[in-house]
Amino acid sequence: MKATFDAWWLPSSSSESPIPTPALARETIDVAKGVAVRYPVWTDDAATWLLDGLSEAGARLADAPVHDVLSGVGRVANRFLDSSDPIRSRAIDVLVPTAGISKEMASEVLTGMARDWTAERLSELLEREFPDPGVLDEFCRLDEGRTVRARGPFLTLHVGAGTVPGVSVTSMIRALLVKSAVLLKPGLGDVVLPVLFAQALAEEAPELADAVAVTYWPGGSSLLEGLALRRAEAVVAYGGDEAIASLRARTPVTARFIAYHHRLSVGLVGREALTTARAPGVARMAARAVSMFDQRGCVSPHAIYVEEGGAVDPGEWAALLASAMADLEEDLPGGHLTASEASAIHQVRGSAELREASGGGVRVFFSDESFWTVILEDDMGFEPSCLNRVVAVLPTPDLGGVAGALEEVGGHLQTVAVEGAEDRLPMLAEALSQAGATRVTSLEKSPWPPPWWHHDGASVFAGLIRWIDLEENDLEGD
Amino acid sequence: MSDTFAGLANALGMAFQASSREPWPDDEFETWGRRVFAYQFETNPVYAGYARKRGVTPGSVAHWSEIPWVPASAFKAVPLVSGDPSRVQRVFRTSGTTGAGRRGEHHVLDLDLYEQSLVPNMRHHMYAGLTDVTDLANGIEVADATAPTPIFALAPGPADAPESSLSYMLGAALDVLSKGEGGFFVAPDGVIDTAGLSAVLEGATARGAPIILAGTAFAFVHWLDWLKEQSGGFDLPAGSRIMETGGFKGRSRVLERPEFYSALSEAHGVPPEAIVNEYGMTELLSQFYDGPAFATPGGAFETRRHVPPPWVRTRVLDPNTLSASPVGEPGLLCHYDLANAGSVMAVLTEDMGIAVDGGFRVLGRAQGAEPRGCSLAMDDLLSGVPS
Repeated sequence: MKATFDAWWLPSSSSESPIPTPALARETIDVAKGVAVRYPVWTDDAATWLLDGLSEAGARLADAPVHDVLSGVGRVANRFLDSSDPIRSRAIDVLVPTAGISKEMASEVLTGMARDWTAERLSELLEREFPDPGVLDEFCRLDEGRTVRARGPFLTLHVGAGTVPGVSVTSMIRALLVKSAVLLKPGLGDVVLPVLFAQALAEEAPELADAVAVTYWPGGSSLLEGLALRRAEAVVAYGGDEAIASLRARTPVTARFIAYHHRLSVGLVGREALTTARAPGVARMAARAVSMFDQRGCVSPHAIYVEEGGAVDPGEWAALLASAMADLEEDLPGGHLTASEASAIHQVRGSAELREASGGGVRVFFSDESFWTVILEDDMGFEPSCLNRVVAVLPTPDLGGVAGALEEVGGHLQTVAVEGAEDRLPMLAEALSQAGATRVTSLEKSPWPPPWWHHDGASVFAGLIRWIDLEENDLEGD
Repeated sequence: MSDTFAGLANALGMAFQASSREPWPDDEFETWGRRVFAYQFETNPVYAGYARKRGVTPGSVAHWSEIPWVPASAFKAVPLVSGDPSRVQRVFRTSGTTGAGRRGEHHVLDLDLYEQSLVPNMRHHMYAGLTDVTDLANGIEVADATAPTPIFALAPGPADAPESSLSYMLGAALDVLSKGEGGFFVAPDGVIDTAGLSAVLEGATARGAPIILAGTAFAFVHWLDWLKEQSGGFDLPAGSRIMETGGFKGRSRVLERPEFYSALSEAHGVPPEAIVNEYGMTELLSQFYDGPAFATPGGAFETRRHVPPPWVRTRVLDPNTLSASPVGEPGLLCHYDLANAGSVMAVLTEDMGIAVDGGFRVLGRAQGAEPRGCSLAMDDLLSGVPS
């Protein structure tokens, strides 16, 4: 018996004409043993109906006070955080097979994500991003001679990556906050939360839900994708470099294009943190940073540079990290891997074992029962990880040299998590920012950036809104 | 007691030559497998250290399947030589079509042993039955024709591509099985000599005796494109056959296999059952064919399977647990190739396959439904960097 998750949610009352979806053919993709994701195949008529309806709903939403959006979304967030609400347990149950993560991870990720969807956090975000969030509702006089208003698009198309569950819901919420209707195509690994979120939104704030449609299709394949790219005022795209390039090429020049392409992150451990007292705790934080999202997040470290000269040397610290990875596997088990993901790890492990056996300083730590793997390298050469809890420990004589070593991947560099080196942090951050990094944080905080973070270096709403300046007449006239 | 490489290679070569196509009895393969592992454990300290860390020594092996495999990517990481590295006769390198990065290296101690594996295997699948095709269709193998059958290769020749194990193999086929008749029609820079190949195929058609056309799938696609542009095609003599090898990994132009085979068949005037896929890799000195030519009625893909020569055994391993996949379930192909005596005999590939009676079906490179991870893989990163 196969379990099937329907990867779409469509507004019911956004248009006077009835929903043509029952007429749409459905396709399914097997995502795990006995589990499939089903999605509609869009026809020209149905796609036009959907986009017309969303545009109308977007026009209505433009008149809604931002406070109403905030509280409607917040009510849904609270339900996902409430362990007694059946929607939370349903989400976790379906996340396990569709996202390929363990139940414990699903719970942790859902909590971490939904925390940022609460009214309090969203309010904090708006306060940080706008001099006065009222500019989203009307012209506001900010100071002498400066009267402005901000408007979002009528319709945004969101294309998700499927990497970390919940990311596309965050993207949807940000568009709703600037009062844009949303058409969201999640990645295959992230179909569950947007669909359940939209369902709950229909219960908690139907007027908002009217402006939201979620539907999966294999990237590039749907007629709806082409039509939506022509109709949306803004396109928000998460994905691999190739997917982003393809969407960018098909987005009209008049539409805003906001892209989050491939990214990678690293950790740095300074000798100040390599005392016998501190080193094990730092290893536990590193294990958590690597293992969260099974390392599939853009914030997940691929490698950890460990400074020589501390009481605990990089080799000893790699062993501590391995032991912390093994412990964490108990609390936060890894998910089910696809054949290619598992195959990649067997190749990496076996090659590292042979390098270990050939002498030099390479050492490899893993357990046959799980996929976490720690490889102590004998030089500072950075190579991207095959992911799913495979991390390199790179010994380095001085953390000051790391920024230079990362310049080659600077175009893809994102988070650098630093422990120890407290006194050197300003200098390191300066060099890392020059190498391309857009976030310098601690290992502990690295999996969960604050809601206002400059994701890949851009302000949260900068790409979504347009500012309208109302220039006042000089009444004195002389 | 312990083997020298020369002694072992000599004994293996004789066993290959003397072998029929029937799989060797289990105890015979077992004996050979242990002998080769014992030799490799003794002469390859890196591999021995690796095996020891995995808790395996020649004394602990109760069955050949316990002999430790190395991953195919290990050929990129360390030189894997079982024997005296100064006696390496040739280093074959992987093509490295998926972006820059390191290329795999197979250090070959004895090219004769490679030939002793490849020649009978290729003779059986590509050359046999050339005097009477109808006999082969009935499963009867007949003696080689007295007149040699030429082989025309859509690949660079061994002199132009000394690092290519495929070019070496086709060169050996040309010398030994085709008695020097045939030639190579791809320049070292990959450009196909379309005029030259057209001319020899026309000549062969006029003579009326069957020929063999062999090459990489990628080169065939370009050859087919060219033929289409010229509105050209051939009606090769009855009994002619085509060997295609390699996938489209990392290439811009990709054809589905049924489409590819019908285009090959039409353009050359041969039936689909005349087309044979060779599955081989630089890391292995033996190959697998889904032939012999004309043995699969209608060339139906459902009934095709790759069959190892008797000196190779292939296991299908569950990608998660690495234990044997149940029959009919896909898994990673892991080959135990005695012809790899001078390197490492057991190689875990990244290719998925299904075990079927007497062989396996290749499903292609292990892939997820949609890549997960907003971080990038090495190939993605390097594809944007000029090499």
